[in-house]
Amino acid sequence: MKRLQTTILLFLWSVCTIPAAPCEDTPISLDAAKDQGRNTSRFRKETAEVATATDAAPKANLTYFQESVGPILNKSCLPCHGPEKSEGRLRIDQLNPDLLTGPDVERWSEVYNALSKSEMPPEDAPDYALADADRGRIVDWLSEELNQASLVRRNSKEHSSFRRLTKYEYNYALQDLLGLPYALANKLPPETASEDGFKNSSELLQMSVMQFETYRELGLKALKRATVSGERPQAVAYVISMPEEMSKAKSTKDDTAADEGKKNKRKPRNEQQLFHRETGESIPFPGGKTMPRADAVVGQTPAVSQVVLVLPRSHELKLDLDRFLPDEGIMRVRLRAGRSTMNPDEYASLRLIFSAHTSNNANFSQTVSERDIPVTASADDPQWIHFDIPLSDIQRNPFRKLETTFPRRDEFLHIHNVSNSHGGEDPLQVLIDHIEISAPFYEQWPPKTHTDIFFESGSRSDEQVYGREVLSRFLKRVWRRPVTAPDVDQFMDLFARYRPGFATFEDAMVEVLATALATPEFLYLTQRATADETQPSSRISEFEFASRLSMFLWSSIPDDDLLKLAEQGKLREPDVLTAQVNRMLEDPRSRRFSQNFVEQWLGLDRMSSVTHVNDNSLRESMLEEPVAFFEEVLKNNRSVLDFIHSDYALVNERLAAHYQIPNVYGPHFRNVPITPQTNRGGLLTSAAIMTMNSDGTDSHPLKRGVWMLRRILDDPPPPPPPNVPEVDLTDPRILQMTLKERIADHRDNAACVSCHSRIDPWGIAFENYDALGVYRTHIKNQPVDATSELFNRQTLEGIDGLKRYLLTDRQDQFARAMVHKLTAYALGRPLSFGDRADVDSLTAQFRRRDDGLGDLIHLIVSSSVFNSK
Amino acid sequence: MDNKSSLLSRRTFLRGTGIALALPWLETFAVGNPRQDETPKRFVSVYHPDGVGLPLKSDPAWKDWSWFPRGGEQDFELTKVLDVLEPLRSDITIYSGLSHPDARNVHGHSNADQYLTAAPIGGEGPYQNTISLDQVYAEYAGDFTRHSSLVMSTNGGIGGPRGAQTQSFNREGRPIPAMNKPKEIFDLLFVTSGKDAAGKLARSKSALDLLIENTRSLNRQLSSRDQETLKQYLDAVRDTELKLVKAQRWVDNPIPQVDTSNLHLEADPKEARLYFQTMYELIYLAFLSDSTRVATFQLGRENGEGPHDLLSLAVGLNGAHGLTHEVKNPGGWENLGTYNRYQAEEFGRFAQRLKETPEPTGAGNMLDNTLAMHGSASSSFHLSRNYPIISAGGKNLGFTNGRYLKFGKGNEDNQAGAGIDTDAGWQGKLEVEELPLAKLFVTILQRLGVETDSFGGQTGSLSRV
Repeated sequence: MKRLQTTILLFLWSVCTIPAAPCEDTPISLDAAKDQGRNTSRFRKETAEVATATDAAPKANLTYFQESVGPILNKSCLPCHGPEKSEGRLRIDQLNPDLLTGPDVERWSEVYNALSKSEMPPEDAPDYALADADRGRIVDWLSEELNQASLVRRNSKEHSSFRRLTKYEYNYALQDLLGLPYALANKLPPETASEDGFKNSSELLQMSVMQFETYRELGLKALKRATVSGERPQAVAYVISMPEEMSKAKSTKDDTAADEGKKNKRKPRNEQQLFHRETGESIPFPGGKTMPRADAVVGQTPAVSQVVLVLPRSHELKLDLDRFLPDEGIMRVRLRAGRSTMNPDEYASLRLIFSAHTSNNANFSQTVSERDIPVTASADDPQWIHFDIPLSDIQRNPFRKLETTFPRRDEFLHIHNVSNSHGGEDPLQVLIDHIEISAPFYEQWPPKTHTDIFFESGSRSDEQVYGREVLSRFLKRVWRRPVTAPDVDQFMDLFARYRPGFATFEDAMVEVLATALATPEFLYLTQRATADETQPSSRISEFEFASRLSMFLWSSIPDDDLLKLAEQGKLREPDVLTAQVNRMLEDPRSRRFSQNFVEQWLGLDRMSSVTHVNDNSLRESMLEEPVAFFEEVLKNNRSVLDFIHSDYALVNERLAAHYQIPNVYGPHFRNVPITPQTNRGGLLTSAAIMTMNSDGTDSHPLKRGVWMLRRILDDPPPPPPPNVPEVDLTDPRILQMTLKERIADHRDNAACVSCHSRIDPWGIAFENYDALGVYRTHIKNQPVDATSELFNRQTLEGIDGLKRYLLTDRQDQFARAMVHKLTAYALGRPLSFGDRADVDSLTAQFRRRDDGLGDLIHLIVSSSVFNSK
Repeated sequence: MDNKSSLLSRRTFLRGTGIALALPWLETFAVGNPRQDETPKRFVSVYHPDGVGLPLKSDPAWKDWSWFPRGGEQDFELTKVLDVLEPLRSDITIYSGLSHPDARNVHGHSNADQYLTAAPIGGEGPYQNTISLDQVYAEYAGDFTRHSSLVMSTNGGIGGPRGAQTQSFNREGRPIPAMNKPKEIFDLLFVTSGKDAAGKLARSKSALDLLIENTRSLNRQLSSRDQETLKQYLDAVRDTELKLVKAQRWVDNPIPQVDTSNLHLEADPKEARLYFQTMYELIYLAFLSDSTRVATFQLGRENGEGPHDLLSLAVGLNGAHGLTHEVKNPGGWENLGTYNRYQAEEFGRFAQRLKETPEPTGAGNMLDNTLAMHGSASSSFHLSRNYPIISAGGKNLGFTNGRYLKFGKGNEDNQAGAGIDTDAGWQGKLEVEELPLAKLFVTILQRLGVETDSFGGQTGSLSRV
């Protein structure tokens, strides 16, 4: 019984944290709590050898059960879980003690959880109290047997990783395959999240006729966007040159005395205007109508002009482009801009908005630029900035082709200055001297997306030969594996049928390629039976491994480097794999991993149904914080315990203001050291988590408690039973109560107590955070009461108490939960009992490496479970 | 790549013409499908912009020119606005106290977009709509007719965001272009069939064959558990094939012959009466020939301008939209009421025609198997509340007519927002209780056979209907 010692240590510590015990007067610091929890970790003990599969068939340890465990269970558990009473429908005397072959392994697993977390026997039943040594005996026996049972069941896993791509993976796969930077999969229905919160979970990824038809449609549409035919289309081009605008404005204006007065050699503060930087001459300029110029030359670099458009903070230049923009293609907006002042605490950035006002009250406007582009150069040495907007993807004015002038046909482009300019005598403004708008814009002709598919080849003139070349290259990327001649034959047959119906080779071939994009090998992550006799049959192939790896870290198909290594059979060599994972994490595509994993792990989707955050930039910042935090921990291989508590925060200016952290400027997220007085650190109290787990006006302890258990501790409470009585808010007795009293009242209801005593205390510890996650000390003039008591009589003193308890007593549970969640996401399937031993083994290795998140990624991809079917 | 022919461009083409052909690409989301030999259940919604006349009780015009009837559920008395429907009294139901909650403080000019969708489109900024009631039913019943739905309006096309010229929006919330030229509608229904459809269907068939073959070869290399997963994919491909076969049948089937004596295919909205009657007659013929079971018809756009504004010429009045602004002029209420009366009269004529036509399957008359809705998303001036709605028919679907159904509380005389002619009205606080119109939509869908209990975010149907 090698874990006995560990267990006793664990329980000794628990005794100390019970408030009645006079262990310490002042609570230990959170850093000390981290150390304490680490020292008592079961997984970190050298003695805790992780069992691995052996050839010898394991046998259940029934002797020890009969001698030691059975009698203790009979004494402490049988009275409530036996023939007399069977609380929770558990009859301990009827569970088969053979976990390896018996049918009750799931129930035993529950018994293990209840005992190891000291949830049972209940504190208020002293007659049945379990001596620590006895508890240790049961827990150790169960731990061993469960582990063995899991190994036995390893090869009969309930769930497979064979699945179709998720909506977002399909989108990224098409983008990477075709080199198109647009959202291509919006038409697909959204995915359902699994119990764990994951959308890539195999058992939920269904296929329907509608889904299938949509894939066919989207694939063809994407291919048509990637390819072109004929001559380069003539672009519509608008040029707005500020010196020209200045002379135009001057020529249409009388030189009155009033205007003379304006020539004061100083530009008026915070007015949008054309301004001559030398003469000081200025004329207001809100924008206006501009027409395409047939003779316009774009993409040149005219000399920097002294006449500039002055765009103060929150101002915008609104250009009426009339109705000449084409229906499709990229609209490139290119402009030269600089900053009027260079204070590093201030920033200015540009955003594009597109709008139309077709008739009275029939209007729209939308931000069309993907992100705000910062203006960093000085006005003396301005920079070129460009935006590329896909015209067919944005809301257009449907009346632009009318013959008549009503409803109005014009479309407007707004160039908006998003800034934190502090104002004052010499405010930060954006100065622009030259703007070009052209569409359709092509970097080259034919575009690279086209030549990637229809590349140059000596056999271009022979459709049969060239067709095979095109197909071979395309299918290899689509299927992520080498392509055989019969594979290509199939598609050449289809091409032969299609060819007569189309004018050109390319037109017919695009239709054929679209069919390839609807094949199961593109849409699904396969795991074939291997033909290689030297490999264990449960191992996935090198190519399947490449796909699994890239789905994990890029949410997309593997690139050529990965496929090449897979082809050489080198990808899984430890050094090669380490280097590849590092490369992948450094690649911008790994942002998709952070984004998708964090969103799904923490359930950030729920923010989309939140209606009480009215400030859009606050909402965006809230959503970004957990992702930025995760990236910080990942990139620096920091400990995942930082998610529970850290002495730094990841904030931008907007969020820092929300958290009252001073001196943070600019829209980008950065690591900022914080003090305990900031009442932040870690993810638990981040504004998004607090906000989405509120009821819109106040905190919601129940939601917060459930969230903690599900997302952080991987210990989801059971769903509420049917026929739960609603809290009667018309009852004057209830109406008078504080929220905490109401919860207590509800908990006193016998039907509710068993679950709520396990949930509510976790949530009440967050009471210092309001419905937007702002820290508070008072609620309606009453001091906040964030003290709660867990089912095991453990008192949690607010958020610090909660964090301290998690770090000292629940560190292993949290670390294991992290491993569980990341592994489930990496495999794209739910984990079941058969994975228990693998998760334990991974957790032990992970904990011994000091819980680094980067290390965990490496551990997972080299684990046997990640390499297995 | 303009000359590329494809499934996609064909669909686009069909959408462009305002008729969605009953081909595979429309998913049936709803559970179950009607049997083809059953008596068709039909749905048509007619929308008119600008609302109706709603004078204050103290106004002398109230007695004659208030749109809503007076009296109770059974003993209601129609005013001069709706008295043209008196002969159909036992076949109609009039509703009050219904509106879409998300629109109640949005300017009436933005309203046509959300009447059948209940989407929270708001009054400005980014715009996103959701699927309309008729299209939910078309997803369910569209497979059994040549055209899944018929989408028409006087102005045609889609209009602009918050200025819709169509009542129909697909599952993605995108507008389906409406047809507005009688000749084109007639040709699509009764003259042309998808001419080049055959070649495209054949190509699609070859692609599916390849996919099935490809799937089979993959299938052989998978574990039996993974084969189960792949079976879903294979089923989806096979079902798509079945749909192709069905589509082929529509290509091969002869186009129905109809009696064209009541059609004036060159009619223009300026000839309001002829135009109106022809459009209604086209819906009637499409239903009679079972070319479709779903239709929408929007009488122009909110906020005046465009052809529909001339419809009021039929009753000798200028600019329909202007009538709502001029209610405080001498005879103003009467003018607006007269125009609304005319709309009701044409709707009544259409209902009457359905009533006089025996159902081809023998199950009563056509009106008994059709639910025809007529309404607007404004009542008083720009006010997006208390929608004036009439429904006709649907006896065999479970509708009990001959009633005036008042919903909500505190507005029994329809005086909330009555008599207003400034924008302070629509911006005002909602003082009375109204029920979500989407609940009526749920009732309608259920009676049409769609198994659902929610629409546009509202769960549950309307009792008493």
